[in-house]
Amino acid sequence: MGASKLSGMQKQVLSLYRGFLRAARSKPIEDRKRIEMIVSTEFRHNSKEVDRKNFQYIEYLLRLGTKQLDQLKSPDIVSLSSVKVVASKS
Amino acid sequence: MASGLIGRLVGTKPSRLTTAARLIPARWTSTGAEAETKASSGGGRESKLKNFQIYRWNPDNPGKPELQNYQIDLKDCGPMVLDALIKIKNEMDPSLTFRRSCREGICGSCAMNIDGCNGLACLTKIQDGASETTITPLPHMFVIKDLVVDMTNFYNQYKSIEPWLKRKTPPSVPGKEILQSKKDRAKLDGMYECILCACCSTSCPSYWWNPESYLGPAALLHANRWISDSRDEYTKERLEAIDDEFKLYRCHTILNCARACPKGLNPGKQITHIKQLQR
Repeated sequence: MGASKLSGMQKQVLSLYRGFLRAARSKPIEDRKRIEMIVSTEFRHNSKEVDRKNFQYIEYLLRLGTKQLDQLKSPDIVSLSSVKVVASKS
Repeated sequence: MASGLIGRLVGTKPSRLTTAARLIPARWTSTGAEAETKASSGGGRESKLKNFQIYRWNPDNPGKPELQNYQIDLKDCGPMVLDALIKIKNEMDPSLTFRRSCREGICGSCAMNIDGCNGLACLTKIQDGASETTITPLPHMFVIKDLVVDMTNFYNQYKSIEPWLKRKTPPSVPGKEILQSKKDRAKLDGMYECILCACCSTSCPSYWWNPESYLGPAALLHANRWISDSRDEYTKERLEAIDDEFKLYRCHTILNCARACPKGLNPGKQITHIKQLQR
């Protein structure tokens, strides 16, 4: 299905994605769908846009994602939401 | 020339010693040179340009981090590196990102690496002369953007030593403060002034190689502060908690920490004190 031998960084990304999906399971059903939608679009978008060799940026995104996941895991947090911002070049 | 260098390293200048109480080696703290140029140039409105090479990395447009050059007229700018950074942000490049708060060396937000030495931007004078000043974030820390670094590991290490008073017995006069003699309070001098700027920990090569397991000079300084506090009753437990191959004994008395501290503290000395108590 995927690559035959995943690199350490790829495994980290997949494990972060898995972590998000597991955290989503503990939330109410419609919030769960919203979280899964946001997380999967984010990951798919980055997988296309980000250069595979840009280790510094990937590590930065991994750290950011881990922090957000820790926040999401807390029982006080109910759901995620996202806003689309278009950078204007005026 | 050589004697001038030696003079700078020792921190004293024969006829230009200012009121700088703490002699920080290898860095300009006296303004003798500046007074000379003012006297010689008279009243002319000539500009004194200086180049700043500043580390830039943007997570929104990620590429390789780069040193970007900015030119500042020192006549129009305050004496400290933070003044230069604020001037650059106001007038030249608003996207330059850095932390700052008190501008007087008490909050510890503006800690960064200036010309190879860690220090607070608000307390480091801009070196006079035509040479370039290089400003980079604290070494061996993950960069969030430009000069802003991720301090969460540092703060978690501080939290892990439990930096609060712990007692087993209630205070002798309930509802009143726990009394402490002047001598016992004097034991805390040199440790309570720490502002958690992370200059010392990020200058320690041992901390660079083991940031997750070694606590670092700042956390250990605070650990000693609570161990030496006469009001705290959990001394033995505190000592046992850090009596670890990695947490404490990664310190090899490199003493870069004492050199880097902008408040003039000596974390290395406090770590030696802890090691002596561990027996």
